[in-house]
Amino acid sequence: MAANVGIVLVSHSAPLAEGTAELAGQVGGGSVTIATAGGTDDGRIGTSLVKIQRAVRLADAGAGVLILPDLGSSVLTVRALLAEPEDLPAQIVMADAPFVEGAVAAAVTAAAGGDLEAVLDAAQEARHARKL
Amino acid sequence: MPESSEAPVEVTVTLTGDLHARPAGALSVAVAKFEAAVELIVGANQVNAKSVLAVMQLGASSGQQVTVRAVGPDAGAAVAKVIGILTEATKVGD
Repeated sequence: MAANVGIVLVSHSAPLAEGTAELAGQVGGGSVTIATAGGTDDGRIGTSLVKIQRAVRLADAGAGVLILPDLGSSVLTVRALLAEPEDLPAQIVMADAPFVEGAVAAAVTAAAGGDLEAVLDAAQEARHARKL
Repeated sequence: MPESSEAPVEVTVTLTGDLHARPAGALSVAVAKFEAAVELIVGANQVNAKSVLAVMQLGASSGQQVTVRAVGPDAGAAVAKVIGILTEATKVGD
């Protein structure tokens, strides 16, 4: 079976990224690699280019990587990473999606063997999903 | 057999537990492997079973009836799979 799309969760908070990864991983059934990049290099609230680079390497199984940022400067840091594509997987994309719902929808679609475009669509459609 | 394969297959089950996040995920992952379009119907709500968030939004709970409707070449197998997940996964009540 071909590799699944990998997912990178980028959050200002390490526990937020890790908890979201745990939840999305369980809903997706555990067959998807979800790597996290939470907080700064010295463990404060913020984002780290180095942590994101490391997470991308962990998540990449050859089928592409979806990056889901939480807020604000997470987006800017991911953009900075994507601006230098030399050391990145050939297929890598940032999703514009709510963090928890997007992560869960992306994990389920990746677990089902969806390609990067399908995983991106699933994450971004989460914007329209009602909770109630 | 294109005509017969397009007839919808529909089965209704009564849940013995709540449809939580994990079974919803298992259901959507399973459905994605079928060609058939699969819908879950609870009361007046009808959702695409491939969308885990839509399945969770149903908020289907113990004692409620869920109708699984599929259209496509493998509709029968898809419905059987979903009914299996609904009856098994909602038993444990996680």
